[in-house]
Amino acid sequence: MPLRRRETLAAVLASPAILRTLPAEAQPATPVRGGTLIYLEQQTYTQLYPPAGGFYPNGGVLNQITDKLTYQNPRTLEIEPWIAESWTTNADRTEYVFKLRPGVTFSDGTKCDAEAVAKNFDNFGLGNRDLRYPVSEVISNYQRSEVVDPLTVRFVFSRPAPGFLQGTSVIGSGLVSLKTLSTPFDQLGDATKIIGSGPYVVQRQTLGRELVLTARTDYAWGPKLHPHQGRALLDGIRFVVTGEDSVRIGALLAGQAHVIRQIQAYDEKQVKDRGFQLFAPSTRGVNNSVVFRPDNPLVAELAVRRALLHATNAQEIVDTLFSANYPKATSIIASTAQGYINLAEKLTFDPALSAKLFDDAGWTMGPGGVRQKDGKQLVLTAYESPPQPRNKDTLQLVAQQWAKVGVRLNVLAGDLGSRTLDSLDPARTPVAPAMVGRADPDVIRSQYHPLTRNVLLQAGGVATKVQNFADARLNALLDGIASEPDGEKRMALVADVQRYVIDQAYTIPIFEEPQVFAASPRLRGMGFEAVGRPSFYGAWLAAR
Amino acid sequence: MGRYLAQRVGQALLVLAATFTLAFLLLQALPGDAVLIKFLELGLTPEQLADIRIAYGADAPLWQQYLHAMGAFLTGNFGYSIRAGVPVTQLLAENLPSTLLLSALAFAAASLLALVLALLATLGGQGWVRALVRSVPSLFIAIPVFWLGIMLIQVFSFQLGWISIISPEPWEELILPVATIAVPISAPLAQVLIRNIDAVLAEPFVTVARAKGASHAWVLRWHVARNALLPVLTMAGVLFGELLGGAVVTEAVFGLNGLGGLTQQAVANQDVAVLQAIVVISAAAFVAINLLVDLLYPVLDPRLARGRRTA
Repeated sequence: MPLRRRETLAAVLASPAILRTLPAEAQPATPVRGGTLIYLEQQTYTQLYPPAGGFYPNGGVLNQITDKLTYQNPRTLEIEPWIAESWTTNADRTEYVFKLRPGVTFSDGTKCDAEAVAKNFDNFGLGNRDLRYPVSEVISNYQRSEVVDPLTVRFVFSRPAPGFLQGTSVIGSGLVSLKTLSTPFDQLGDATKIIGSGPYVVQRQTLGRELVLTARTDYAWGPKLHPHQGRALLDGIRFVVTGEDSVRIGALLAGQAHVIRQIQAYDEKQVKDRGFQLFAPSTRGVNNSVVFRPDNPLVAELAVRRALLHATNAQEIVDTLFSANYPKATSIIASTAQGYINLAEKLTFDPALSAKLFDDAGWTMGPGGVRQKDGKQLVLTAYESPPQPRNKDTLQLVAQQWAKVGVRLNVLAGDLGSRTLDSLDPARTPVAPAMVGRADPDVIRSQYHPLTRNVLLQAGGVATKVQNFADARLNALLDGIASEPDGEKRMALVADVQRYVIDQAYTIPIFEEPQVFAASPRLRGMGFEAVGRPSFYGAWLAAR
Repeated sequence: MGRYLAQRVGQALLVLAATFTLAFLLLQALPGDAVLIKFLELGLTPEQLADIRIAYGADAPLWQQYLHAMGAFLTGNFGYSIRAGVPVTQLLAENLPSTLLLSALAFAAASLLALVLALLATLGGQGWVRALVRSVPSLFIAIPVFWLGIMLIQVFSFQLGWISIISPEPWEELILPVATIAVPISAPLAQVLIRNIDAVLAEPFVTVARAKGASHAWVLRWHVARNALLPVLTMAGVLFGELLGGAVVTEAVFGLNGLGGLTQQAVANQDVAVLQAIVVISAAAFVAINLLVDLLYPVLDPRLARGRRTA
């Protein structure tokens, strides 16, 4: 039951980002078994309860130690069998029944059967107040599970849940043993407590420094259509936290590591010039953007937001700061995302139009080249977001571009505490950087809905300082995406919401964010799940 | 001596209690909190955030939290790290020993380096050699630790391939980090040592000893060393703080686990329980080292011991 439109598939297959990231599996060579892969991470994992896998350092670990009910083929985005052999759903997408593969066990020896799967999704879908498990952001409208027989499980939803099938394939839906599910949420930063059924098992950890995984020799339940089957080829993986960019790259080039995550755009060339591999899988979600908080009176006016949108030169940002792996955004979601429509003609860089919009709205040029209206100067503030690539440089370039039309943007660094607090207060942060990855249109709801990430800071969410901004029309569209059972109608809503967000100029999309990895020429068969988290299931190390 | 010791230990405990209280108050005053920082990204609702706060006891009145934390500390329970999701004691067990080892080795290396520099600067052959060596401490203190660490890695690990940074043997793991911290720490030690040796060498009793026919080595051993070391010992107590500061940067560059890296992460994420434990432990170490230094004075200078006995 593909939920996509044909155009999307074509767009996905034609995307240069995908072609670039074709795994080295395609290379003709006989795989070699054995060896320990050394993987350098920029940051340590913080929380390994699967729904917290969105953070890349967490997801990079979880993707090796947990399996999912279904497998989203990273090339076609089709949902394929994994722990579930088959599934059915009713017409209004309020019930899903999964038939499970027999013989799957967790690494503690317990069975991964209907009961375990049901318990996992009860926790993901409903949360667990006693153990402090939050509700997974990828599962909407969940009501209950039913164990039909030891290998059949049914999930029932209170409203249509068209995104659920894809939701069973994401990093946040990794299956863990009942023992892990009885551990309080705040103890799950300890990797040894995460017991999955995946091809690798946690052997030991030094918190904040390294994690060692070993291959499970009895693993025999990889995704059904995956080119590799059976146990993982590597004997193990060593994750080493190496925060310093130059040390990660230097260690890779000196042969002390096999693969590293997070390469800055300016380092890409030296990696390629030395004959090393560069992977830049798209995160296929909401683009790296600048968003407005319309609760702040300075950006409450549509004309101001539109003027700033047309004052922003995304092409210059991409050309100056990034590389070809960072395509210029043409909508609020990536061109490789499901339901994408091209809105490039609404996103033009047009300083003349920008100036006219300001003038017409009564924002006249004041002293110091800053526009003003009713005695108020158009001075805005944003905090940089260090996890996003070159975010400080991006915001500063935006500030330069806005300065040319008479708007001052102050870019603050700030400590994490002030940044977190101020980013919830539209009076302090009328502008903010934003992005999130997930290969299902539900991601748009995750990003914009007041009850989830709430990037626009609407009333009713975590941000309690919001006075009254709320956009009922936007929220209705978002709820529609999460609950429209008909695939065609759902994609029409996805198109509507893209148009609406841009027409309201709530967001200025900048670029489609990739996850960039570099690897030794010896590493073969490295794979990525649909939004760019590494998979070492089929990976192997060729002889020197 | 017993009464003096009891008095000093009493003072030390007072300092620790005050440190604990001050740290507690300052950490409470920080904007934002660890629960928000860690869980906001997961897209939790306000109710869920409130639940988590209640679970950590972060909703109780301040004085209750203070008494609770104080009582827990006295029984060796340092609380829970919100960021890492493990007890603080586990984090300390994994990080404290490596920092102690790194600091001890770095301090030993810095002392040795300082001694060599001081001897070369005061007694080394030609005048121009001495002048050159005397400018070395200023250079050492001007080198940023961060830059030095990266340079050492580039040269000795990536270029020459002598030392592995990612998969080091136990013996090679600390060589470059120790060198990185020792260089800046050795500078003030060497400067104080050089100035003291110069001063002592100019004292009349040294001239007298020389006139009596004492050899150069004998004068150094029996007259200069003792007198010049006393101020250095004082410096050493103070330098401990700098050692910890150097460890923060060094551990970050080399990706070592240790108190430095732990502190940096805890500060960034407002992991209050971890910070509280680190502050108290650092204060305890400071107090202990300064106590030790005070107790060592009389050993090096008998006049101080006599003075106390008559007082």
